[in-house]
Amino acid sequence: MQMNIPYSIETRPDTGLHNAKLGIWLFLASEVMLFGALFSSYALLRVGAESWPRGADILNVPLGAVNTIILIVSSITMVRSWTSLLKKDFKKFRLLLSTTELLGVLFLVIKFTEYRMKFEHGLYPSGSTFLAIYFTMTGLHALHLLGGIVVNAYHLILGKRQWNLNPEKFTHRIEATGLYWHFVDLIWIILFPLLYLT
Amino acid sequence: MSLKAFHIFFISLSSLLSFGVAAWTIFLKNDALLGIVFIILAFFLIVYGVRFLVQQKNVSFL
Amino acid sequence: MENHETQISKPKSRLIFLSTDHKTIGILYGFTGLLFLLLGFSIMMLMRWQLAFPGQPIPFIGSWFGQDRAPGGIMLPEFYNQLGAMHGTIMVFLGVVPIVVGAFGNYLVPLQIGAPDMAFPKLNLMSYWLYVLGGLCALSSFFMPGGAAQSGWTSYPPLADIATTGQTFWLIAIIFLALSSMLNSINIITTIVQLRAKGMTFMRLPFFVWAQFITGFLLLLAFPALEAASVLQLMDRLAGTSFFLPSGLVVSGQPLSVSGGGSPLLWQHLFWFLAHPEVYVLILPAMGIVAEILANNTRKPLWGYRSMVYATIFLGFMSFIVWAHHMFLTGMGTIISGFFQATTMIISIPSVVILLALLISLWGGSIRFTTPMLFALAFLPMFGIGGLTGLPLGLTISDIPLHDTYYVIGHFHYIVAPGTVFAIFGGIYYWFPKLTGRKMNDVLGRIHFAGSLVFMNGVFFPMFILGLAGVSRRLWDGGAQYQFAQHVLHWHEFMSISAWLLAVFQIPFIVNLFWSIRKGKKVRENYWDATTLEWAASSPPPHGNFFPLPEVYRSPYEYSVPGYAEDFLPQNQFFGEGLKIKEKG
Repeated sequence: MQMNIPYSIETRPDTGLHNAKLGIWLFLASEVMLFGALFSSYALLRVGAESWPRGADILNVPLGAVNTIILIVSSITMVRSWTSLLKKDFKKFRLLLSTTELLGVLFLVIKFTEYRMKFEHGLYPSGSTFLAIYFTMTGLHALHLLGGIVVNAYHLILGKRQWNLNPEKFTHRIEATGLYWHFVDLIWIILFPLLYLT
Repeated sequence: MSLKAFHIFFISLSSLLSFGVAAWTIFLKNDALLGIVFIILAFFLIVYGVRFLVQQKNVSFL
Repeated sequence: MENHETQISKPKSRLIFLSTDHKTIGILYGFTGLLFLLLGFSIMMLMRWQLAFPGQPIPFIGSWFGQDRAPGGIMLPEFYNQLGAMHGTIMVFLGVVPIVVGAFGNYLVPLQIGAPDMAFPKLNLMSYWLYVLGGLCALSSFFMPGGAAQSGWTSYPPLADIATTGQTFWLIAIIFLALSSMLNSINIITTIVQLRAKGMTFMRLPFFVWAQFITGFLLLLAFPALEAASVLQLMDRLAGTSFFLPSGLVVSGQPLSVSGGGSPLLWQHLFWFLAHPEVYVLILPAMGIVAEILANNTRKPLWGYRSMVYATIFLGFMSFIVWAHHMFLTGMGTIISGFFQATTMIISIPSVVILLALLISLWGGSIRFTTPMLFALAFLPMFGIGGLTGLPLGLTISDIPLHDTYYVIGHFHYIVAPGTVFAIFGGIYYWFPKLTGRKMNDVLGRIHFAGSLVFMNGVFFPMFILGLAGVSRRLWDGGAQYQFAQHVLHWHEFMSISAWLLAVFQIPFIVNLFWSIRKGKKVRENYWDATTLEWAASSPPPHGNFFPLPEVYRSPYEYSVPGYAEDFLPQNQFFGEGLKIKEKG
């Protein structure tokens, strides 16, 4: 028999939060600092560089644009899967979360196609500071997205049981995952113009 | 802040980005196709965002 | 949901290494941390031989290190550098922080706020194992070709970028440790915000909990900067990028074939963005421990509790905008230096507020000179020396001649060694009855205290003398190659002998610790007549801590309350209608 932690499901009246929501926001705050450090590094390196290439001349803008649209749509399906849980519609939830999964995987496939095209042209991270920061930041972003895909896969496979066991807790989990998913998408929304367009 | 609030924030930012990308492709790149796609996306996101707000009226922002 | 208050629950796993109970994890953290502390100390004792008797074979154990580290027992400069880098890394990242945050924070925070456990018990276990993984990664680098990381605990590029394989392991270790401390700090902050017992408002939190709360934010927000920097340096080392390698670098007469265009300064900014808040991570929980011990042993409330809390919050904010005072020597420019000098002078104010409040708390108290109290009392002047000697380092004009000398080593060791480590010792003596139901031996404790106090000063005070004489802190021979250093070099011998005697005086502590776990004198549950909630639980507290969860009626340090029979009034003790403050909502 496991011990129950207070406020892991219900909201604490004086803080207006349940534990997982505070936890995920603290985690996102930490992530903001991680990517913030990388964006600052980008700014410092770019300001200090003798010359900086235009991203559009090196990177494939249409592929990046398609990826942007994919991620925006995936966050819409993600949030919809959560609202369908709020309406107790598990079937619709599963459909929408699977769509989110598919879009996430599609994003990664396109991303790695882009990488491969770069490698085929002999463009490696060691080539220039621009390529280095491009590969590092998008790579780290892709890793984060992969993490989100893994968590969502877990929800898809084991979700039914948890939904039957404790629907409220499961809804909280999907909300936390959705917040993370949105954060990862938000990073891309900043990365895309920064790397591809300027 | 709930997922609803974050979603609205994200959609607003995305529509701003779409306008930005559209302007960039049309004025700097002369690439009409991509520009039009992003203008459509931007308007779609605005309409979607408003509809989302109306539909999820009773979900908390907190 | 209601049943958690009534049923006595058993932990899920019987294996202590897989337990999700915050107390078990805290103890695991504690023992692992103490082990690393001992290891870091042993490394230092080896280095002290080299500094006191440069070029002479290490006695007794010199042959253990092999021909490529110490041929004929004489330490090679490369090996000395490895020891130096690993001493710093082990002490800061693997020793002190896991003890003050992982062990004390994990064990005490839920108890002091009246919670059954941490908010996320499984994450708690995971953070412990990530810490162990990081520790093993750091240690395994000793067995890599070319040895462990040898670019100092700060790992400044470009040297670190082109160092041997050990550096790669150092970076991976740092990433593991960053993840571990992120999970831990999320857990601690969430626990404090969400799981406070009924009536436990923020201004009724013990000061230790406040210190942990702010520390949690520092770890949460500062560590990602080093994580990012480590990722960039890993890219430099493994993928051949040049984030930290400037153009036109020449190594051993050969131009380095990299794209260049990087900035070594970038690493220093990212590193110190973590490492300065890290300094406060080292000291704030120590101040919290000392505050608890002082209030308990003076039998009166802490003086200026609120001002201490506000000072801590302010300290937390400021610690994010002082980092570049570690970088005055890099020539960042006078405007940036000016800004960071100003913020550095400002941040000394809240530190002084806290220290003075602790000092004034002694005034008019009926002080009990218990063993933990001795350590807490010694903490005050020792931290004072450490803090005051830091002021000249915050100003460019005095920092430039002092920065690369032993003065800096003396300064921060006074804060961390007789400061934080004394608080750790005091905390162990103070909370040992809660952990085991037994107390530690006082005679051995006093021997440990007296020896530690004398020889800590014997190790660190001469560093100021060496530093003011201009002896560089990075030299393998301790400065023997310089004419100007000759008249102070005899201090090295004094310091080394002090260090070894300091080690001798840790033996009573180790014996005491293990002996008392089994054979120590059994004591009652609230042995120190304390007021905070951890003493309301049984010793040791069972899984779930409190049955039922306590309710809090007053602020944490109600000692010697007029009109109450005892000289302490616990937070959960109902007394007098007027003292019960109405709950909101």
